[in-house]
Amino acid sequence: MRVIATIRSRRAMLAGLFSASAGLVLLRFYDPASSGLFPPCPLHYFTGLYCPGCGSLRALHQLLLGNWHTAWAMNPLTCVLLPFLIYGLASEVWLWVRGRALPQIFIPGACIYGLCAVIVLFGILRNLPVYPFDLLAPGAMLRL
Amino acid sequence: MFCPQCGASNADTAAICVQCGRNLQPGAPAVPTPAGVVIPPGAPAVNIPNYLVFAILTTVLCCLPAGIPAIVYAAQVNSKLQMGDVAGAQASSNNAKMWCWIAFGLGLASIGIWIVLMLIGAIGSLRQH
Repeated sequence: MRVIATIRSRRAMLAGLFSASAGLVLLRFYDPASSGLFPPCPLHYFTGLYCPGCGSLRALHQLLLGNWHTAWAMNPLTCVLLPFLIYGLASEVWLWVRGRALPQIFIPGACIYGLCAVIVLFGILRNLPVYPFDLLAPGAMLRL
Repeated sequence: MFCPQCGASNADTAAICVQCGRNLQPGAPAVPTPAGVVIPPGAPAVNIPNYLVFAILTTVLCCLPAGIPAIVYAAQVNSKLQMGDVAGAQASSNNAKMWCWIAFGLGLASIGIWIVLMLIGAIGSLRQH
């Protein structure tokens, strides 16, 4: 029972690691802004509205090139959350390799609700055509 | 039954947890919290996954609103743990996991549709030439 579960999770983990690294290599060499290789955000494609994640792939591409300034203009929320996400993912991988997670602080539920509100608010504000909120749209800060 | 240490779902007859290997037999001594995990005063000693990292990842990368319920359920896991409601936290944990997969699946589906559309477009432009 345990062996089966371990094999299944190992396969899933290997598949996840493989596709994540393949995606990162593609992102390093192809700019989502110009290549047409990466799918557009469905919400933006159909409605023209920006979601909280719009620009995150372009931001990752710019970060992989070392252009943190352009990355920030593409999606500041992704740039802020990225270190925490990387730590969380590293903890999952470490749990898989070494059997124990990295040190973690218990986040109170209220803080997670707050984060959720920030993400939703960011999604709303970046669609407002009013200064300074229009700067939050993907790439808008580059035109300053 | 749910593992009292990691919260994974196990068969009622299981001797050890499939996820963390804890002894599930009644009367087995509780394994102390792994070293390095900081537990502030008032926080519960049980560890139930809230899938917050995956919820945020699917919200930010899949561009679909399905990640939002995943984050809300992740918040519920931790608030219920703070109140000592372990069973409720486990239920929210399962919901968080489900919504992470829904968001991930929708993201994959939109990538698939995009690839099909690109292929149709490529074939169409070939025919024109």
